[in-house]
Amino acid sequence: MTTDTHARALAGIRVLDCSDPKGHFTGKLLAGLGADVIQIEPPGGSPGRAIGPFLDDQPGLERSLYWWHYAGGKRSVVLDLYSDDGLDVFLQMAESADVVLETWQPGRDRPFDPLALAEHLPELVVLSLTPFGQTGPWRDFSWSDAVGLALGGPMGSCGYDNIPGTPPIRPTEHHASHIAGYYAATGICAALYERQSSGLGQHLDVSMHECMGFTIESSAPWALYEQHPLIRQAGRHAGPQPTEPWQYPTADGRLINIFGMPRSEASWLSLVAFIQSKGLGDRLSDVELLDGRKRQLGLQQPSVAMMLADIAEFIAANEAEEIYAGAQAAGAAWSIIRTPDECLSDEHWHARGFFVDVEHEEHGRTVTFPGAPYVLSETPWQHGRRAPLLGEHTSDLLCGELGLSTEELAMLVAAGVAQ
Amino acid sequence: MTPTEAGDGIPDSAEWRAPLDGVRVIDFTWIVAGPTCTRLLGDLGAEVIRVENEQTLDSIRFGRPHPNGFDPPNSSGMFNWLDRNKRSITINARHPDGLALIKQLIRVSDVLVENYSSRILENWGLSYAEQCAENPQIIYVSLSGFGHSGPQRDYSTWGPTAQALSGLTSMSGLPEAPEPAGWGYSYLDHMAGFTAAAAITAALRHRRETGQGQWIDLSQVETGMALTAGATLDFTVNDRRYRQTGNPPGNRAVWPQSAPHNTYPTAGDDNWIMITCTSDAEWERFCEISDHPHWRSDSRFATLPARLRHEDELDEQIGSWTAGQDGRALMQRLQAADVPAGVVQNGLDLVVNDPQMHAREWTATRDHPIIGEHLTDGLQIRFSRTPAHRDRAAPVLGEANHYVFSDLLGLSDTQIAELHENGALG
Repeated sequence: MTTDTHARALAGIRVLDCSDPKGHFTGKLLAGLGADVIQIEPPGGSPGRAIGPFLDDQPGLERSLYWWHYAGGKRSVVLDLYSDDGLDVFLQMAESADVVLETWQPGRDRPFDPLALAEHLPELVVLSLTPFGQTGPWRDFSWSDAVGLALGGPMGSCGYDNIPGTPPIRPTEHHASHIAGYYAATGICAALYERQSSGLGQHLDVSMHECMGFTIESSAPWALYEQHPLIRQAGRHAGPQPTEPWQYPTADGRLINIFGMPRSEASWLSLVAFIQSKGLGDRLSDVELLDGRKRQLGLQQPSVAMMLADIAEFIAANEAEEIYAGAQAAGAAWSIIRTPDECLSDEHWHARGFFVDVEHEEHGRTVTFPGAPYVLSETPWQHGRRAPLLGEHTSDLLCGELGLSTEELAMLVAAGVAQ
Repeated sequence: MTPTEAGDGIPDSAEWRAPLDGVRVIDFTWIVAGPTCTRLLGDLGAEVIRVENEQTLDSIRFGRPHPNGFDPPNSSGMFNWLDRNKRSITINARHPDGLALIKQLIRVSDVLVENYSSRILENWGLSYAEQCAENPQIIYVSLSGFGHSGPQRDYSTWGPTAQALSGLTSMSGLPEAPEPAGWGYSYLDHMAGFTAAAAITAALRHRRETGQGQWIDLSQVETGMALTAGATLDFTVNDRRYRQTGNPPGNRAVWPQSAPHNTYPTAGDDNWIMITCTSDAEWERFCEISDHPHWRSDSRFATLPARLRHEDELDEQIGSWTAGQDGRALMQRLQAADVPAGVVQNGLDLVVNDPQMHAREWTATRDHPIIGEHLTDGLQIRFSRTPAHRDRAAPVLGEANHYVFSDLLGLSDTQIAELHENGALG
């Protein structure tokens, strides 16, 4: 990697990240913004190291691609926080830390009480990211990301209207952790900002369930104001009434999403000209469709049925990339439904530097990762160094910083407290 | 006061401070993505001033539902939900005097957020450089579909478009279906908004440390691609493309590998429970509680690899067992045995059927001049010392004109009347 002399938004902030996979994304966000994030791993390693996919499909502590991504830019210290000596070392580390992130459910066996820790170290920001928060009858419910998405609301809006008897569908890739992770990271940054004026830290209670409860778009106001549930529909928004499909197959076996129909007349005429240049879409010249209201999806209008029939025919006769480029050039926000691997073929993202290459020297590989979710002009996002090996920084932190002797560390290791 | 008390947690004391107390945000956002960001900033205590124009109103001001009758621009429940805790002023940015006022406002503000297409603010004369000329410490956030650089910077997105392009849509659905189910709402409008909020709070902290502002350029599609690491790395490292048999996997597990991991029908119409056994211990407890302890010794189901090989039979047997049972009672029973299980809830369930939300007072009653008494939803981050808040309903159009033009910018009533007259305001 080239030397980068930029400042970082969270430079100088140290985070002790005691999270399990529920919180690994939160820690990654903070590391991306420049914090020194130290993942405290239990002996044997974080459960995140057992989440695939794996390098060459072979599981192993240092082979989890999940870990490579979600622990990227962090350091690793192995400490058994359930042992007196391990907890003692941790509390010493906490004295010079700015943030502690933890994910233990409050009624389960947890090595320390986060509220008590925040009271004990008043400058510390302690964030508890838990499935249901610190209180309430479900606070200790057994949890997985999928159970979280089911109870939390997002999944209830996703599924098929056109395949009878099918269940709601939960989107894949740990989204309960993604949703809550942004809240947690924002809460931490806001608390650090506030601390700059007050000098004080505090405890933050983030319920993943509540985070998801906002993140369901119009299901929320329909429930809050009208006590009205929405109908889930394939490839488009759940709604109070059924709406027209948005996804149409192309000649090359892909799908186009046509949700972004032009609003302005100029853009509409431009789209029609593009479609008719392919020899289809005669009915799109119907004067009725010049009225934007007659093109509005979602109202089951005859004019829209006619319009969509011609558009479907046009899409079925052409190839996806050409349809996408032509429609966007006409001002219609249509898209191809891509798979993640297909995104790597789009030059736009490379021109913006979205994908980043990181050396994984132990494996003799340079690995391409999804990169910055935001481009900050003065304090750029960073992937940072490759995800840490198990306990890679235990000695640096415990001996180099806390001042333990190598003998003391060796005793902790021998006792299974550190690694 | 304990940090975890239910409810707003706002102390009675007049000394209450929210974390972003004193931060002023100029809000040029519309639809859902930008307003999601500024709603969170407002909840955290920032003073968020929506800059609106009567000729080009945010279409969410017309969005359903209209709980007290259709009377836009102030009757939309959707707008009131999404734009609470904000102020509203009406200016025409395309009028030179309107633009001058906006520039004055930039001088006394900390953050400017917009989610227009990539050239709009530039065309108005409000590029980042032009904002800096007024206030070099401004934090400017542009949230567009493709970002402000790159060959496709003029392409545009809506939430569903961005989801499709990012790969997220393709990763949600049944494997045998002709199309993905995708997301039943604009997930990336929310996520792009959250992404912006995280970046802004980090940038505020940096600015307080160094005095330096900056430009945060967000692409909604990139915020989505950043959430596809498993599938992306399986390609970049293992050369495996996503389009293969079994993908998308319905409600079965991807990683960590687990089985059972699916939705199963319960009593009633279209009711479902998600059950996931993420370890052998959970599977064994599940078998005990399920009245089918023999599942445990069945060689097809005894180990995780075996269960994965026989997942169709496993799901069928579990589904036969759950069908007809009351979903919530079943969830309680499984949870009592420490098995991860949850009924599929929709938005309405969260508001009326969710004892956890109820116990934590996730909804609260508020008033609005047009909509009247209504429910507002929760604060997702509960700060022990500087609580967030949800006290202010969404703004009636232009309700803060006097406050901003007169109190903040020092215009006289005569000047304000003239600006109205010449079309700069309104």
